[in-house]
Amino acid sequence: MKRHLPKWALAAATSVATLLPASLPAAEIEWLQWFAAEDPTGFYDQLVEDFEAQHPDITVKLVTQPFGKVRESIVTDNAIGVGSDVLGLNMPWTTEFLDIGILEPLDDYLARDDNSFATSDLVEAPIGKIDGKTWMVPLNAFPFVMHVNMDLVKRAGFDAPPTNWEELSEQAAAIAALEDGISGLGLPFSSQPPSNGPILTFLPLLYSNGGRIMDGTTPNFDNAKVVETMEFIKTLNEAGAIAPGAASRTGGVDLEEFIAGRTGFLISPGVHSSAITGRNPDMDYTLVRVPTNGTNAYRVHGWEIGISADSRNKEAAWTFVNYLLSPEVNARVAKASNALPGNLAALDAVREGADDTLIKQMDILSGDTPVEEMRQSPKAVASWSLMTEELQSLLRGDQTAAEAAAAVQARWMDQIK
Amino acid sequence: MTRPFRLLTASGTPYLFLLPGLVILGALLSVPLYKVVEYSLYDNVIVERNPTFVGLDNYRNILGDPGYWSAGFNTIVFTVGSVVGHMIVGIGLALLVNADIHPRARTFFRSMLVLPWIFTAVVVALNWQLLLNPFGLINYILDWLGLISEPLDWLGNPDLAMWSLLLISTWRGYPFIMVSFLSGLQTVPRELYEAADIDGAGFWHKFWHVTLPQLKPVIFGVALLDLIWTFQLFPLVWLTTGGGPGRATEVLSTLTFRLAFVDFEFAQAATVAVSILIISAAFTVLYLRNEARRL
Repeated sequence: MKRHLPKWALAAATSVATLLPASLPAAEIEWLQWFAAEDPTGFYDQLVEDFEAQHPDITVKLVTQPFGKVRESIVTDNAIGVGSDVLGLNMPWTTEFLDIGILEPLDDYLARDDNSFATSDLVEAPIGKIDGKTWMVPLNAFPFVMHVNMDLVKRAGFDAPPTNWEELSEQAAAIAALEDGISGLGLPFSSQPPSNGPILTFLPLLYSNGGRIMDGTTPNFDNAKVVETMEFIKTLNEAGAIAPGAASRTGGVDLEEFIAGRTGFLISPGVHSSAITGRNPDMDYTLVRVPTNGTNAYRVHGWEIGISADSRNKEAAWTFVNYLLSPEVNARVAKASNALPGNLAALDAVREGADDTLIKQMDILSGDTPVEEMRQSPKAVASWSLMTEELQSLLRGDQTAAEAAAAVQARWMDQIK
Repeated sequence: MTRPFRLLTASGTPYLFLLPGLVILGALLSVPLYKVVEYSLYDNVIVERNPTFVGLDNYRNILGDPGYWSAGFNTIVFTVGSVVGHMIVGIGLALLVNADIHPRARTFFRSMLVLPWIFTAVVVALNWQLLLNPFGLINYILDWLGLISEPLDWLGNPDLAMWSLLLISTWRGYPFIMVSFLSGLQTVPRELYEAADIDGAGFWHKFWHVTLPQLKPVIFGVALLDLIWTFQLFPLVWLTTGGGPGRATEVLSTLTFRLAFVDFEFAQAATVAVSILIISAAFTVLYLRNEARRL
């Protein structure tokens, strides 16, 4: 017997067919990051468009949030099972994200022959193994440096920026003495989120003193180098070289005060140079390595990317990561963020036409020792909150450097027990 | 149509109208509420895929933690201080803008004085941070008046931070009291003031013996409402001081956030959240009773 489809079924099928696009993309992936929030040019939208043009079977949804919100979003999204596929990451988050099981190990992906990059070309710190596995790859990299307002340095009677602690102390005090409202150096030790002042300024000074706060994966904050570095900033504070109000000064305010020409020196990521030169082009500005106390070491930082362990499109996610790390694309990313590439094979392309500040960062990266301890630190974010509180207390004169170091160690150990 | 069906339709119709509201309430209120209470009874929720049921252990831990009691004390200081500030400034300004002046001037002042209520917490926090900065306007004026010899770190000094926060909170919250009190003032019969005038009562006598008694239910109601809101206030504190310096301005709501998103101790955070819920619920019952008495 011949059977016909009912008319209503035919109509419904036709409607559905016309509503569907001609060809559905094989995969849609989401990229959660803060990078686009720090780029007003729309570079990352263009990057995604270019990727989609090359890979018509994959669409990428760019999810942009401010840096301070991304960590929280990754954790809550993961908890309710709606996490993004590709994640913008910050090295200090690594251990706590591993504890929650957010990240996909990348070793099998990195071992593939058809990758657009060689793993050996990637900046080392982010790909170092934790629990025997690699969890993230570097999109870009930058050292922590000291930004210098040469106008103020010259007004204070010096020809060149400080290279060691003694010179820093002398110049910072001389700049602060120039007039009311001008300070030598800012210390952003506010409790306000992300409350990360110590890792912005204290750790770079500690590393240039040859110190560390970790012993492998165990906190080791209470040591002689830490105490010596704390005493140094306490001395600077007592000499009036530090901007008043360290306990309410955020990293953002510290940067703004430097850009406005009210601080002689700013210790922060090298990537801030573009904001400084862009917003105050009249400033006689340069950047130098953080003044040393015997060791040429710098805190290395960068923007990292990883894949969510819960992603349903891991292959497509890796295709996108692979694209971002290819030398050509990675060079574009590095130039757009005025940083160095995560794939060092792109270094020559970035160096071409790079400005003086970027060349100086490259020299620091190639000549000095990189240090990154926070990625192995348990409870890293909580730990720098504790550091902030104890450093505030130190600068108020409520405790000695040795007491502050011991207090951080005790509280940190209590956190992770 | 059968009789039972007709009966069901007749008695069920009102519930059908209630259904959308109940579904929304259920989804937006009951489920999160249930989850928070549930989280507080487990160990390492979210961090652990299979958390362990620990009963009331989290409550015992929290109640034994000096940090919780310190945050609780700060919450009381902040809440009571804010509500008192809101009431004094709000009532004072309501009396002023209720004065018999040119209508245009009255409208202008009323509109201007409501402005702090319109700003978001982010805007309020940023503006006050600039004002209270060691190089900010307030230090400049105090220095110019010769009241200070060196700039004060209003938000970074543990002795000043809570007072500064109370100042900001008062500025932000007085308009609600002002508007409520102003509308209450319109309802006081003019005859009472006329009678008081005939008796020779001055401004303060009229305020104490006519205005306040007439507006007592309004004052009590808005004060309770303000108490409930301020008790659980989070953004203004977090964005202005982050609970610091040290933990000088840490309140229960910022402690909850810190435990959850700084320390990743979600079960402990849920426990503190439940304690806030219980106290807020007690205030709410008081408020509802007061409202019921007024009706």
